[in-house]
Amino acid sequence: MSHKWGLAVDLDRCTGCEACVVACRAENNIPTAGEDQAARGRTIQWIRVERTWEGDFPNPKVRFQPVLCQQCDAAPCEPVCPTYASYHTEEGLNGQVYNRCIGTRFCANACPYTVRSFNFFNPAWEKPLNLQLNPDVSVRSVGIMEKCTFCVQRIKSAEILAESEKRELKDGEFTTACAQSCASKALVFGDLNDPNSEVTRMATSNRATKLLGELGTKPNVTYLERGTWQDATNS
Amino acid sequence: MQRTAEQIEKDLLRPIFATSSRYKIAVALATCMVLAGVCALGYQLWEGIGVWGINSPVFWAFDITNFVFWIGISHAGTLISAILRLCNAAWRRPVTRCAEAITVFSILIGACVPLFHVGRPWLDFWMIPYPSERGIWPNFRSPLAWDFFAISTYFTGSVTFLYLPTIPDFATVRDNAKGLRKKIYGLLALGWQGTPRQWQRLEIAMHIMAIAIVPVAVSVHTIVSWDFSMTLVPMWHSTIFGPYFVIGAIFSGIAALILTMALLRKFLHLEEYLRPLHFNNLGKLLLTTSLLWFYFTFAERLTTWYGNSPSEMDVFWSSIRANFAPAFWTMVVCNFVIPVPILSVKKFRTITGTAIASSTIIIGMWLERFLIIVPALDHKFLHFSWGSYRPTWVEDTLMASSFGMMALLYLLFSKAVPMISIWELKVGLQPHGGGVITTAPTIRKPRGLVLEGPLPTDVPE
Amino acid sequence: MERRNFLKISALTGVAATLDACHAPDKQLIRFVQEEDLVPGIATIKPSICTLCSAGCGLEVRVMQGDAEVIRNGQTGIIKMGLAKKLEGNPRSPVNQGKLCARGQAGLQVLYHPDRITHPIQRTGARGSGEFQQISWDDAIKEVSSHLSGLQTSKSMSGLSFLARPLRGQRRELIGKFLKAFGAPPAVWYEPFDEAVLRQANLLSFGHAALPTLNLGRADYVLSFGADFLGTWNSPVSQSIGYGAMRQGRAGRRAKFVQVESRMSQTGANADEWIACKPGTEGALALGIAHVILREKLAPNSAASRAGAQIAGWAAGLPKYTPQVVEKQTGISAAVITRLAHEIARSGAATAFAGGAPLAQTNGLFNALAVNALESLVDAGRETGSNSGPILSFAPDVPTSIAAKLETSQASLASLTALAKATPQMLLLYDANPIYFAPAATKIREAIAKIPYVVSFGSFIDETSAQADLILPEHAPLEQWLDGQPESGSTQAYISVAPPAVAPLHNTRPMTDVLLGLAHQLGGDFAKALPWTSFDAMLKAAYTALRTQDASMKTKTDDEFWTAVQKDGGWVGASPTAQARSAAATSKSASISASGIQSEPEFAGAAADFPFYFQPYVSQSLGDGSTANLPWMQELPDVLTTAMWSSWVEINQKTAAKLGIQQGDLVEIQSTQGSLRVPAVLSPGIAPDLIAMPTGQGHEDFGRFASKRGANPLAILALVTEGKTGSLAWAATRVKITRVGGPEQAKLVLFSGGLSGFPHEEESR
Repeated sequence: MSHKWGLAVDLDRCTGCEACVVACRAENNIPTAGEDQAARGRTIQWIRVERTWEGDFPNPKVRFQPVLCQQCDAAPCEPVCPTYASYHTEEGLNGQVYNRCIGTRFCANACPYTVRSFNFFNPAWEKPLNLQLNPDVSVRSVGIMEKCTFCVQRIKSAEILAESEKRELKDGEFTTACAQSCASKALVFGDLNDPNSEVTRMATSNRATKLLGELGTKPNVTYLERGTWQDATNS
Repeated sequence: MQRTAEQIEKDLLRPIFATSSRYKIAVALATCMVLAGVCALGYQLWEGIGVWGINSPVFWAFDITNFVFWIGISHAGTLISAILRLCNAAWRRPVTRCAEAITVFSILIGACVPLFHVGRPWLDFWMIPYPSERGIWPNFRSPLAWDFFAISTYFTGSVTFLYLPTIPDFATVRDNAKGLRKKIYGLLALGWQGTPRQWQRLEIAMHIMAIAIVPVAVSVHTIVSWDFSMTLVPMWHSTIFGPYFVIGAIFSGIAALILTMALLRKFLHLEEYLRPLHFNNLGKLLLTTSLLWFYFTFAERLTTWYGNSPSEMDVFWSSIRANFAPAFWTMVVCNFVIPVPILSVKKFRTITGTAIASSTIIIGMWLERFLIIVPALDHKFLHFSWGSYRPTWVEDTLMASSFGMMALLYLLFSKAVPMISIWELKVGLQPHGGGVITTAPTIRKPRGLVLEGPLPTDVPE
Repeated sequence: MERRNFLKISALTGVAATLDACHAPDKQLIRFVQEEDLVPGIATIKPSICTLCSAGCGLEVRVMQGDAEVIRNGQTGIIKMGLAKKLEGNPRSPVNQGKLCARGQAGLQVLYHPDRITHPIQRTGARGSGEFQQISWDDAIKEVSSHLSGLQTSKSMSGLSFLARPLRGQRRELIGKFLKAFGAPPAVWYEPFDEAVLRQANLLSFGHAALPTLNLGRADYVLSFGADFLGTWNSPVSQSIGYGAMRQGRAGRRAKFVQVESRMSQTGANADEWIACKPGTEGALALGIAHVILREKLAPNSAASRAGAQIAGWAAGLPKYTPQVVEKQTGISAAVITRLAHEIARSGAATAFAGGAPLAQTNGLFNALAVNALESLVDAGRETGSNSGPILSFAPDVPTSIAAKLETSQASLASLTALAKATPQMLLLYDANPIYFAPAATKIREAIAKIPYVVSFGSFIDETSAQADLILPEHAPLEQWLDGQPESGSTQAYISVAPPAVAPLHNTRPMTDVLLGLAHQLGGDFAKALPWTSFDAMLKAAYTALRTQDASMKTKTDDEFWTAVQKDGGWVGASPTAQARSAAATSKSASISASGIQSEPEFAGAAADFPFYFQPYVSQSLGDGSTANLPWMQELPDVLTTAMWSSWVEINQKTAAKLGIQQGDLVEIQSTQGSLRVPAVLSPGIAPDLIAMPTGQGHEDFGRFASKRGANPLAILALVTEGKTGSLAWAATRVKITRVGGPEQAKLVLFSGGLSGFPHEEESR
């Protein structure tokens, strides 16, 4: 069975704890920018938790929304890359070929979600922090764009294992780093081609929405809307 | 007073054979600016592109602004030379080569920018469609790939367009030179003897080039504009960008041309050749394009404002009244408020007047490119990802150095090539109806071919 | 020279030069013998325990073979060893059930931190000068034991003090036994955000001096008073799991969550209803709600017999806490109080609990008791055992053979100030940095300066260890035998134990083995009290004793049991029945009186001079400051303000406008104890008369990522305490605020809103 990877984010469960952000950083060898570069807007976060304020004291409301590469089926970042570094894989991922990227940054501009990050300098890890680097993930050098890959290294490992054992992948057998760490189980990863998978159930929920869906990017990340607000009237 | 052919030759060849100290100082200054740019570039290549001020989400800023700016300036030559040539506008004659030179050099500079703005410039050659051992071709769907083809075509075309009509003048220099110079110019002249057959070929070639280069120029800047409008970014995704950019390019190109001409006139003592008439006519063209530019800007802004789409309005307001308001209104003043009065009133449409208008327009058009790029990237769809941008010394140096490079190339060009087309002026001396010019034996006008109309006589000298 | 000779000579010199470069002794790194068996490219998963907060979550460590540059016997070389690549939650831990929080993920950076002290060092310069020199472990141990012997000789064994962050489990046992055998006073357990008030309240209300375990996955209504239970309070991962379940884990049922606090925390941001209450009046609010419930007979009075008895006037229906009276006290309207009462009483399964700032007041105990009484009233199933037991209960006791006996909660602060006054002869520090973590008013810095000999077991130079005479660097947590006994977070009895996940990187030794070694050297009473030579032997002995008391693991031998327990990362008791859980909820032992408890809050600093309440809060990323040296944590944007690498204060937008303060401006916060300068962040989620500041920054000395960055709010706290427990009322200091500079001076770094200095008005909300 061919796979189509997807992620569902239940905004009613997300607590804004940002465990997903750190888990992703640890899994994918994402460099730390440091204070100066962070002040210049150069931090790399493949997944970030967006926070929106609405209203004012005494009834302020906050919305948390983890935003990551939506792995769009009609990705605006793919046609614009002059060297084919950004391309669509057979399993529905938006692939980024680090070797092929020359760093025009067109894809980052074209992406409506601003989920692509750029290596403005050669990343460095002060020894022995480099010992933590995950050998399954390439370390990117200066001038290369990077973004969430749905932990493609985990996908590949699981697929290879299943193939070697001559069986199909089971739903929940493996997951992305972010979903694995999420305590409230807001993030669910899986195969959208599997009608029985958890992610398919969530993607077809009546709370399901797509971020900027009206743009026609056909994202493979589904957001489940928060439950009903109970309006506080402190009067 | 009309000049004779000999006088024309003498005046226009003088800069080639004599070097003033002022020239040397100018070249030295320009070289310094270029060297500063080279150092900044070296630093950037060594450290990484992080030495610029770009960040997330403003991934393009000064770099692409300068790219579009310089490619835009290149449209001067095309319009003046090609279109006016096709329209048989006689007054264009002293102006064509200055314009074509601007075109070639500004394309050159403009093309360098994308080569070095990428994160890994040593891999730029992957944009060239060659059968690689990896079996991968460039992505032809990408506007940047289109840029590559468009700009290289335009550059090739412009160089040809510049070179061809210079052949007879190279021959003139060859005939007046000695020693090494004679040899070099002899090579450049391609053995031009001024035979009727050669003239015929030249004229046909020029005619073809003139017709061909116009659509190329229009398509180049349209394609450059599609770097933006092919994306979904609010206020980039606009159908008006194609014509808007072309008009803007012509607009800035003419302004650059006027400024260059004013400077050439002063420093090469070309007062007799670059006369108020030319500035007046170019000034009228500049006025037209200023009005057209204003029309496009207004149409784009009005439709955005009327449509009131939230993501577009965020970008809109950031230019009109928030962070970018000072730049925006400066641009409007520079591109419209100052030039239009100057250029509409005949009394002000003098050399000085048009030069002032052109200077403000150069600034205004640079700001226009910046304001198209940065506010939109700053304010994309997701508010949380909005950012800001501030250039670093590296970008400032590179930008200043690009002007220095233009100056340097132009100065060297003016030393090597007569800035005004000698043979075309000589031809222009002829009364209506043609005839053969008899000056130096190198130039002969073939019978029967009408090259141009007579010099207008109703314009003050 | 002939050409042939020339070429020959050039070739030779060329080759020689190349060879030289390859084998030059100072350039080549020796390859040490591999110490363990690992297959390259294949990961092994090993259990461990997270020690970054007191929740005690279980870990799984992904270990893969790699090359590490190490120093062995003074020589630098490369060794192939197992390297920890990724941390995940341990699915077998009933506390975190395979999940892990942001700080937990960053535990890897503790292990591989560039600032770790790699071998024992002894002070050579003046205290605090930072001048240390390397010494060998043998010499270091000799030093310590000679000082200890010295104390013994001069019969001043009571001059030995041991200061540590509160521990549970066998490490606590070990320290306790060592000190007792030595004749020294008991250890001083200090942490700034200890929960002494809550434990005391739970003891009075429910008979358990412990943090509560919240089974939120069963709730229909959650009323939290100030508890950041999804972020930093109690057992956040366990509580987050329950939160997710209570929202969308049951078809057709979605719990309502109401948060009462004065400053919107990460937890409060998720609430359906957020209620800003005047600081210190949360207890009154709880009683106002209880009043309505009692008055309208929405719940039986007897439901809160024990907890209610702690509140004066409960039996009479709380006549002093009508909604109208409470409205005046709290600033929350009577209509809202009444509505909340109706909502909570009519929900199927409701719970109310308090934590954080409401308990850190001079009337903190009163607030806690009041909320506990409300909880008793509404959490059905507490007394009756229906609905599978109450939502708020207490972790079942583990068999006493292994359980460390917990003393009744003496507040940390009292112990620390006592230490400061006592001026011991020798101080042993373990995971303790009181110079940073205690208010300056405790004068602990001056006290430590007077102590003749200070030894630290820390891994890092920090404010306190910089004053040490000798540092015996510890293994990182992942490198040593760990054990834990989570106080809460699990409805099953649970203790954790884990062997080292990776071999030690540096020339370090675990504190446990050092103490056991010292005990061995000192002989005498120690041999009886601490007969083991290594900590894992002590652990094994404790667990072996456990095996006889619990047959659930079905193992035949002690060794089998010990192996099984290690593999799982701990021992889990049987799943409790509903009755057992209810029984666990309220112990039936005799109640203690709660008379004479202050019910109104008092604040340090007159309101006229210091118009703002000051609320330090535990940082989502830096904790109380102990994870400030981890770069991943510095770069993690605070989820509400998006600030990174910075300190800040949160100010209400309108207040800021009145004071002329704009986003990113530098402001000075002044209390009766001192002042700080930090950038200001404008927020709509904070009361107009309150200023909040995260803990964690302001380290003078804590490595390259944390030093000299921002300010420490703990430093300017007044020593106001809660009356009964002596606990630091860290939310009871008042301050004033003045603008002293612009964004360029303040250098606030925000993830959202672009460059600091270019604040976006859209993001200032």
